[in-house]
Amino acid sequence: MFNATILGQVFVNAVGLSAIYILVALGFTLLFGIMRVVNFAHGEFAMLGAFALFHLIKDWHWPWLLALPVGVTAVALASLLLEWLVFRWFYQRMFESMIGLLGLNMMMMFGAVLLWDVHERNIPAISNEVLMLGDIIVPVDRLIVVAIAVAALALFYAFIRGTRAGLAMRAAAQDLEIAETQGVDTRRIYKIAFFVAILLAALAGALWGQIYAVSPLLGERPLLMAFIVVILGGMGSIPGAALGGLLLGFTESFVGTFYGAAASAFLTFGVVIGLLIVRPWGILGTPEA
Amino acid sequence: MTPQPRQRLLWIVAAVFLIGWPWLTEDKFLHHVGVLIVITSIAAASLHLIIRTGHVSLCHTAFMGFGAYGSTISVMQFAMPWPVGLLVGMGLAAGVAALIGPIVLRLTGKYFVLITFLLGEVVRMAIVENAAITGGSNGIFNIPPPFPFLTNNRAYYYFALAFAVLGVGFCARLLTSEFGRAMDAVREAERLAECSGVPVIRLKVTVFILACALAGMAGSLQAHYIRFVGPEAYSGFQSLNLVVMNVIGGMSSLWGAMLGTVFMVTLPELLRGYVNLQQIMFGAILFATMAFLPGGLIEAGRRVAAFLRSRWPSTAS
Amino acid sequence: MIGKFKLAVLIAALMPVALGAAQAQETLKIGGIGPLSGGGTAWGLAAQRGMEIAIEEINRGGGVKAEGKTWKLELVMYDDQYTGAGGKAAAERLVNQDKVKFIIGPVGSPPALGVISVTNPAKVIALTNGYAPQILKNDTKDPYNFRIYPTNIEFGPPLIKWLKDNAPEVKKVAMLAPNDAVGQSVAGALAEDYRKQGFEVTIELFERGIKEFTPLILRMMAQKVDAFEFDGNSPGDAGLMLKQIRQAGFKGKVIQIGGPGSDEIIEIAGAAAEGFLSYGVFDWDTPAGKKLRPIYEQKYGKGIINQFMPAFYHTVFLLVDAIKRADSTDTDKVRSALDAMDGFDAGIYGPVRWTGKDSYGVNRQLMFTYYLAEVKDGKLVTKAKFVP
Repeated sequence: MFNATILGQVFVNAVGLSAIYILVALGFTLLFGIMRVVNFAHGEFAMLGAFALFHLIKDWHWPWLLALPVGVTAVALASLLLEWLVFRWFYQRMFESMIGLLGLNMMMMFGAVLLWDVHERNIPAISNEVLMLGDIIVPVDRLIVVAIAVAALALFYAFIRGTRAGLAMRAAAQDLEIAETQGVDTRRIYKIAFFVAILLAALAGALWGQIYAVSPLLGERPLLMAFIVVILGGMGSIPGAALGGLLLGFTESFVGTFYGAAASAFLTFGVVIGLLIVRPWGILGTPEA
Repeated sequence: MTPQPRQRLLWIVAAVFLIGWPWLTEDKFLHHVGVLIVITSIAAASLHLIIRTGHVSLCHTAFMGFGAYGSTISVMQFAMPWPVGLLVGMGLAAGVAALIGPIVLRLTGKYFVLITFLLGEVVRMAIVENAAITGGSNGIFNIPPPFPFLTNNRAYYYFALAFAVLGVGFCARLLTSEFGRAMDAVREAERLAECSGVPVIRLKVTVFILACALAGMAGSLQAHYIRFVGPEAYSGFQSLNLVVMNVIGGMSSLWGAMLGTVFMVTLPELLRGYVNLQQIMFGAILFATMAFLPGGLIEAGRRVAAFLRSRWPSTAS
Repeated sequence: MIGKFKLAVLIAALMPVALGAAQAQETLKIGGIGPLSGGGTAWGLAAQRGMEIAIEEINRGGGVKAEGKTWKLELVMYDDQYTGAGGKAAAERLVNQDKVKFIIGPVGSPPALGVISVTNPAKVIALTNGYAPQILKNDTKDPYNFRIYPTNIEFGPPLIKWLKDNAPEVKKVAMLAPNDAVGQSVAGALAEDYRKQGFEVTIELFERGIKEFTPLILRMMAQKVDAFEFDGNSPGDAGLMLKQIRQAGFKGKVIQIGGPGSDEIIEIAGAAAEGFLSYGVFDWDTPAGKKLRPIYEQKYGKGIINQFMPAFYHTVFLLVDAIKRADSTDTDKVRSALDAMDGFDAGIYGPVRWTGKDSYGVNRQLMFTYYLAEVKDGKLVTKAKFVP
């Protein structure tokens, strides 16, 4: 089984997997890094992004290039209401946020079941074409997802490093009180951070829904993946999210192909547990005082 | 009335109620709910011990699972009498706790939560993968009751109540003792406690082992009551339910765990027909509690009592 | 004089009341159990809806006449969370609190085993689904449970034989299954049936919840399999598997001897569903299907309808007919009536038969005509028909 073609295909699959995981984890880690909130409802925002894309394409017949950004932005804007209603009670209160947002997760998931019913829906693929690199198959829709993930990472990094808002966010993440004394308006920064985080989650969810299928139960799996990626890479670290996503994607692809799904799951969990024991802040994270 | 006789009166009333209520009704379903509350209270109380040392464990039902499977397999595969099965189950739970405790209890706050969640999932996956021993996803059916006379729900209620009194009583006793004060010290100011001579890790591990052994006891009682074990009953989600019981009731006192248990066990049973609404309501309660009333129902009770007292000050103290 | 007159008026006034009481409508509660939360929700809701539609139809037609009374049906449905303990708890509630004598459901094996552990000792009739053989084959001395949906033990071997005869190039089969109760019982049994007919089978189990099957598919393709078999996979997972299998470049046969969930699979897999072979029991293009669909869509909205909906709809009619034949709601009499109902045709699946003596020791497995269909241009085309 270990020949060049298979290995190449495994590599290609891995990159495709990693892209989605990175997108899902980015927003999650942002919320933790800046607001110290563990967003247990992150998967539900992904689910909303998927439904937004679904409705725009299926019911309103918008082209994908328009539906994706508009749908995702709409979800992020609408979620600001939830930020005001729910999230702001939990900033800087990590333990309460875990359980409180778990409550939000349940409300959103079962509310979605009431609204949309449980059956799975399909969003037509971006493209059914495949590229052939020798004997290796590269599905074009996965390639597009990878491109989007890379673009999102780059844009996000530019935002955090290059804009004043990004600077303010980094300051707030490092030390909230000092940042406030320096004139950072924390309320405004939180709202911006929340908007960006949910935007990324909805984007990840829309693409997830397109590659797989859309249903109210969509959010569970991305949430678990976001957790694992962020623990691996480090909570609050953006390069960490990228690294964690790559690690998870490659592990799943390699171990899953050569040794089966159970081995892949056990290994992933084992590594994460081991990491939590020896280096809980992740590979690229910083230990907290 | 001075406090002491009043407290004693309350205890007597409580005891009479706990022992007497099953005879007020012939409804087997109500007895069934009673059994569930009583068994779950052991698990919730033992989790409370761990929480009092400052750690929130999301794998507590995994230890119930060790108790359940250990007891079941001893009785069904090895033809042991149930008391032996119970001890095997508790021993297995305590043994695993002793093994992993020293390692995971060094982690703080959120990391402990995460690692216990993952460990719980690993245990569940291990149960599923080793189908030859554990029956895998299909579980094990037709588990015999602990003793032949325990086939009706009301009888099992008294049986479980006896164990619950022992288990929860043990937890209460521990918490009010010198050891309990050391636990509180460790939770509130760990470094300070260490400097004062409290062997922090040893204390945490001891509590962890005791608590997990009690969870094993609850697991065995439950397995031989429902007469079925399956991996999904011991998942991270079920562990979360135990945590929520403690949180909603109030994490500062054992009574909180008891209140939370009654609340969380009866709610799904009452709303079994309206699942979506039940889950939405449940989520809303979780959110509201954490956002506005982190002390749980106990805190709510205290606030109400304080309010009433300020409105109608009594002459007696 | 006036006194007697008053008495007469009183009696005259009470007569209609007395007469009315003799023909009063009584309510017959039917218990329903199914997964209404968690991963199995689609099945549970399908079961609930099928039963609701059937019950409404029967009540509109005047209810059920038995024991000289007219009964109005009422569904009492509880969630079993797809667990053994949940099934048992739901059954306890229905039997002990709601005092039902007839339960339809649950859908899965662990809850079904939990349910019958309560219903059989209580002499309550349970019409369950669930693939585990132990549901029918066990040590219970006097069981009151029936299985109302065929399992792969019944339809597996004939369909495998069809594959063998019609696709002789297939020698090695890859089976993908979730590692839960379905995967661990159904997949194993089906694999054995394949092997008995000379095929080589590899089974890959995965954690329920994953959506990315590409690594496993690649793994199977590297082992040069000729066909993929989806056994008891949910329609959602099967649709994704099919899509990803074709995307991976696999050109061989893909078949599902199980499910069935063809509508949802076609919806999810789209063009990739072309050539997919599936076991099927219910055709929405039949008169019954054409009648049911608008009723369902009016009540519950448009969308894919899970195949369990017609099955549970059908079961209500099966039960009601048995009650009519027995002219009683006594469970012993209804049980005997059910046992004698070979050939009953509710217009949904055609004439049904009780089978299973060889596999389980009792003839309490419902069997109906089933098909093998192939997807051509997005539609199912029947290739073979099997009558029990």
